[in-house]
Amino acid sequence: MATESQSAPATGDHDGNPAAEAAEAVHGHEVPAGVTEVAAHGGEGGGLPQFRFEYWGGQIVWLLILFAILYFLFARVFTPRYRKIIETRQSTIDGALEEARRVQAEADSQAQAVKAEIDQARANARRVVADANAKAAAELARSQAAEDARLNGELEEAEQRIRAMRDGALANVEAIATDTAQAIVQKLTGSAVTAAEAGALRPART
Amino acid sequence: MADPMHQFEIQKIVDLPDVTIPGVGVIDMAFTNSTLAMTVAAAGIALLFGLATARAQVVPGRLQMLGESAFGYIDDLVTSIIGHEGKRFFPFIFTLFLFILAMNLLGLFLVFTATSQLAVTATLAAITILLVLIVGFARNGHNMYKLFVPSGVPWYMLILVTPIELISFLLRPVTLALRLFGNMLGGHVALKVFAGFVVSLGALAAGGGLGLLGIPGAMLSLGGVVALTALEFLVAFLQAFVFAVLACVYLNDVVNLGHHH
Repeated sequence: MATESQSAPATGDHDGNPAAEAAEAVHGHEVPAGVTEVAAHGGEGGGLPQFRFEYWGGQIVWLLILFAILYFLFARVFTPRYRKIIETRQSTIDGALEEARRVQAEADSQAQAVKAEIDQARANARRVVADANAKAAAELARSQAAEDARLNGELEEAEQRIRAMRDGALANVEAIATDTAQAIVQKLTGSAVTAAEAGALRPART
Repeated sequence: MADPMHQFEIQKIVDLPDVTIPGVGVIDMAFTNSTLAMTVAAAGIALLFGLATARAQVVPGRLQMLGESAFGYIDDLVTSIIGHEGKRFFPFIFTLFLFILAMNLLGLFLVFTATSQLAVTATLAAITILLVLIVGFARNGHNMYKLFVPSGVPWYMLILVTPIELISFLLRPVTLALRLFGNMLGGHVALKVFAGFVVSLGALAAGGGLGLLGIPGAMLSLGGVVALTALEFLVAFLQAFVFAVLACVYLNDVVNLGHHH
């Protein structure tokens, strides 16, 4: 430091090391005020390049400018865009959910209506079936009764016919018996008997 | 061995004319490797989020998804720490987080880490604390003293507590700046030192004889570099996150002053 402070003013090198500039500052040779202030601390940095204060001003100003630009972009452009799309997405989702709920309700009510219709149709069908059954049963009973009547009539007729035939047959049997008795008496006695006499032989019919 | 501090040297790329700011003095506005790293980081962020939020769809694409998860991550953080009023500070916290993260990550890919410059971290800390002070005084006015006088503490304890609170408040910008600076500086120095070992031990081994013992040492160092690089990626994210969280916490202190939650 001591040697540099002797040599520095002679060279007047602004781009030299901070110690040299500090020395310049100390000696006050045509050094602007800002550099004086900054460079006065320059010697304390030791080996670290970060403590070469002559580069601080530029870095700070550049950083501030860049930070300001970035902040402006984020505050005025990117964040509003982000918020807008998030909001749009939320409203889209809400709208879709609302729509889905509405459609669901509609479907439910339609299902209800269809169910009522089906119940109605089922009841109708049941009634039709019952009607048909009753009609068929009535028809059956009626035709059965008619058939029965016809059959009964035929039966009666047949019975009468049988009875008549039997009576006829019985009458014939009497005549045959009388004839037979006449013939037997003729044979046995040799005298003919009349039919009335032969008939009188016969025992009283029970 | 290469000087591990060489990576932190500021080098001018384009020498721009000095600017004189009244009351501050002359500022060398030269475009340096540090300002280049900052500009690349800022341009990268602006490009990424410009593309991610342009033509935003209700059903997001990949890039939009990436941007939205970053937005959502910090948005949740800010809201959970500051509460509903945190929405107003979201752009600031998000810019802070992304800018630091981008500079940290670029340091791992490029040759220069802007956040390893104390000038950069101190400026970021100063912006944050200035915002805290402005918001604090704008919202609370003269009630700002309550920051140092916790309610419900007996008066005799206040004699002890108030100076501690005051000192801790004054140290906030310092710790904010030094934490990020120290992490980045230390990590990159360690990386450089281990990488230097690989070269120097390899050179030793090239000499033959006993120097061949340098081969396992060089391999070990190389493994160290790989492991440290992985760790540095974690640190790069973590330090940006910590900076953002602390900025939120400090803002919360003044936004919700008096009513703790």
